[in-house]
Amino acid sequence: MAGTVIAQGITIEGELTSDDDVLIQGTLRGKLVTKESVSIENGATVEADIAASSLSVGGQIRGNVTAKDRVDLMPGARLIGDVKASRLTIADGASFKGNVDMDV
Amino acid sequence: MARASSASQGNSAVLGKGTRLRGRIGGDGDLRVEGSIAGEVAVKGQLVLAEGGEIVADVQAGSVVVEGALEGDITATDAVAIRASARVSGALKGSSISIEEGASVSGRIEAEFDMPPELGGKGSR
Amino acid sequence: MADVTVVGSGIFLRGSIQGDGDLEIRGRVEGDIGVAGEVTIADGALVKADISGRRITVRGAVAGNLTGEEAVRLEGGARVVGDLRAAAIGIAEGALLRGNVQTEKPASQKAAARSGARAERPAPARAETRKAANNGAARRGAAAEERAAPPPPVVPALKKGARAALRKRAR
Repeated sequence: MAGTVIAQGITIEGELTSDDDVLIQGTLRGKLVTKESVSIENGATVEADIAASSLSVGGQIRGNVTAKDRVDLMPGARLIGDVKASRLTIADGASFKGNVDMDV
Repeated sequence: MARASSASQGNSAVLGKGTRLRGRIGGDGDLRVEGSIAGEVAVKGQLVLAEGGEIVADVQAGSVVVEGALEGDITATDAVAIRASARVSGALKGSSISIEEGASVSGRIEAEFDMPPELGGKGSR
Repeated sequence: MADVTVVGSGIFLRGSIQGDGDLEIRGRVEGDIGVAGEVTIADGALVKADISGRRITVRGAVAGNLTGEEAVRLEGGARVVGDLRAAAIGIAEGALLRGNVQTEKPASQKAAARSGARAERPAPARAETRKAANNGAARRGAAAEERAAPPPPVVPALKKGARAALRKRAR
């Protein structure tokens, strides 16, 4: 099954529900729920709550994040919001402001 | 870590088969819809609604290819191509409209052109 | 093969073209076209008429509605102002249309569906007459069925239109 790619230059506003991986290079405003993993690339802008199995952040996200498995913030990532995950890594150079709940 | 979809090339966006969007999608570049969208679609590039995909929305794009089910008006700067597997309900507007036999269509086409003078000439009907 | 009627390119026909067989228009027609076969509007033809046929192919110019039992096809170069209605509709790139487009089941299939529905209606009517007989209310309704066996003279009239026959007698 092909995943979902929100390319650079594309803006989505609304509720996105998926049962596959989602790759965000563009802009997402609203809500994203997927059974699989979400990757927010450098240059992407996200203003949304996200629920996924795992999340990798390389870009900007303002919203609460819930991951069944893991959340990884890459260098250059900016996350403003709460994180709920069983595992979390914050790389050197990543920015983060919010609460962390690792008791899933 | 999410797998990068093989469909990602620069500005090409894909709404995968298992994905449903309730809201607006817009921007530059191409968009391929394999899942479903209910809301609004406005992209500057090519919009492809794949077989099995569904859009319930008015759609604006540079060019449009419909192979799935679309309920809403289609407005394209360039060509609109309705393929045989398509189910379309709404108005179709573009520089060129083509419909393959086999498609299920319920709508209106308003191409801009002149009729020969014997049949009314400009702006007949 | 001998069944194709051709309206030549130098002809201007005002009126109605009806019938079986195929039709090819190369000239100018103003009126009404309804044939059972295939209709071809050639490149350069000028038609101001509603057209109905089994299959309609347009390469020229038509101002009128096109109704195809099987298909309506606009080839590149066609110019049509009017509505298209057929089981299958094809519009090639380069064909120009101003009008509604509606793909649908052909009339023959619709008629079959209708007669299917008609076949079902007598059944409810029979059930109703049985109910009436049970209530003892409208014996004449039941008459059509129950008196099918007994003495001939009365029965045929009752069978066809029991109420109408009784009304006649009353007069």
